[in-house]
Amino acid sequence: MFLTEEGTVHALDDTCTHQDASLAAGWVENCRVECPLHESTFSLRTGEVDQPPAKRGVRAHQVTVQDGEVLVELSTAVPQLPPGVEVA
Amino acid sequence: MSLAPDAHLLIIGAGLAGYYTARQMRTQGHTGPITVLGAEAHPAYDRPALSKAYLCGTTDLCDLYLDDPADPLDVRWVRSDAVVGLSTEPLGVRTASGTFYLGDAVVIATGAEARRLGGHAIRCVEDAAALRAAPLAGARVAVIGGGFLALETAATCTTRGAGSVTVIAGEELPGLRRLGQPVAQALHRLHEQHGVRFLGAARALSVTPAGHAEHPEHAEHPGSPEHVITLSDGRRIEADVVISAVGAVPATAWLTRSALALDPETQAVLTDDTGFTGIPGIWAAGDCALWAAQRTGLRPVGHWQETVDQAQALASAMLGGVPSPMQEPYLWSDQHHVTIQAAGMLALADEVQVLAGSIEAGDLLVSYLREGTEIGILGMNRLREVVRWRRARRIRPAALAA
Ligand SMILES: Cc1cc2nc3c(=O)[nH]c(=O)nc-3n(C[C@H](O)[C@H](O)[C@H](O)COP(=O)(O)OP(=O)(O)OC[C@H]3O[C@@H](n4cnc5c(N)ncnc54)[C@H](O)[C@@H]3O)c2cc1C
Ligand code: FES
Repeated sequence: MFLTEEGTVHALDDTCTHQDASLAAGWVENCRVECPLHESTFSLRTGEVDQPPAKRGVRAHQVTVQDGEVLVELSTAVPQLPPGVEVA
Repeated sequence: MSLAPDAHLLIIGAGLAGYYTARQMRTQGHTGPITVLGAEAHPAYDRPALSKAYLCGTTDLCDLYLDDPADPLDVRWVRSDAVVGLSTEPLGVRTASGTFYLGDAVVIATGAEARRLGGHAIRCVEDAAALRAAPLAGARVAVIGGGFLALETAATCTTRGAGSVTVIAGEELPGLRRLGQPVAQALHRLHEQHGVRFLGAARALSVTPAGHAEHPEHAEHPGSPEHVITLSDGRRIEADVVISAVGAVPATAWLTRSALALDPETQAVLTDDTGFTGIPGIWAAGDCALWAAQRTGLRPVGHWQETVDQAQALASAMLGGVPSPMQEPYLWSDQHHVTIQAAGMLALADEVQVLAGSIEAGDLLVSYLREGTEIGILGMNRLREVVRWRRARRIRPAALAA
């Protein structure tokens, strides 16, 4: 879950698609999060990736904020996990 | 003089530097043809996993390809043909197959080759595949070298079920000289907790097949090992599998008779801080090169991010665009589920301060200072802190141009 400086809330899968790194530890700027290991950045809105080493985007989940409560509707897409990592 | 938009660029070496240079040239707008000449039979691949996930067997070579098959670079790749000579007049290169390629500019990106003491080494995927196929379970493994590559490989060998893993680091604690006492102690402890044994300051002098050793009766282990390693303090270590990770030498043998200036000590191609060699049209980046700031010890050599940043800076200099600044040096390593990240000019530090965490818990955050000013940071599983440090110091291209 990400809260941007502009106050918008976004939800992405946490694991980078390049290797097993947590995007929650990354850097958020211009509505993108930069992976804390090798600087691929992912759109907080769509999950799409901008530059290698990651080649695939992460899933973005539908977020709505209602009366201060954050509701997340999980994406039904197949998660894009890095090679060698499986869903726990 | 910047490169004409339709100029033909030759990149020598299809590794990290070769790939990222080609990619940066396209990103920064070059429209002319780009040819990348590589000695290897494979598409360009990324090396860091060779000592980690690939060696564990959890990733395969195709996972490591740098180019994205779904969105490939507009580049001509020539494989399995090593470049053997450089010509300045006319500008071009000759390959082992006898082909001469003419170019309007040449980027030398041939990387480095592992220094080999005997046994295994890990530089290319064939090296890693040989070690991946080696029967490590139950084996006595000896790793020579005390750098990150040696420590990662030692960690991976424990994961692979080695009977024992001994590291001959050549210093009292691994990383002591480069990283300082607290980090070296934490690394030592982390590895010992996972069953890795260190042999202190002794250095490895030679690796010999066990049958040929002079005094096998002095050996430390019973059984019939494959190799005997002789140490500087006279000890002899027996091992079934020996891995040497004792540094790399720039792959520039094909340039010794060229007009290029090579570093007398390492034979790396000497360049300025944009990768320009001083000879019109010829540039160099990655592990084969020594940029001016690396030669003076300001920046490290042989790390992934350094190569990626160089490719960007080189491309913008070659195209005459807004200069791309080199960011604070950055490197990372993965050992026993601990991600070690370092940023800044660690080599210049005269003081090391522990900011948080402990040696025991293996979660140190350490600050490096010079004359009281912080110039670097190292974290063990401290992704947030290291990211924040790097971002706070990021130089933007516009700031440089202003
Ligand atoms: C096992 C391993 C693990 C690593 N792990 C890390 C890490 O965790 N963190 C980190 O920061 N860095 C790491 N590195 C360092 C990083 O991978 C290197 O800095 C990087 O690969 C350098 O890129 P390069 O293109 O200069 O060289 P290379 O990647 O070596 O590529 C050079 C290419 O040029 C080719 N070549 C050589 N000679 C010729 C010729 N005459 N003609 C044509 N082609 C030629 C070679 O075959 C090779 O394909 C690791 C390196 C290795 C080997
Ligand atoms: S782990 Fe995210 S870019 Fe490498």
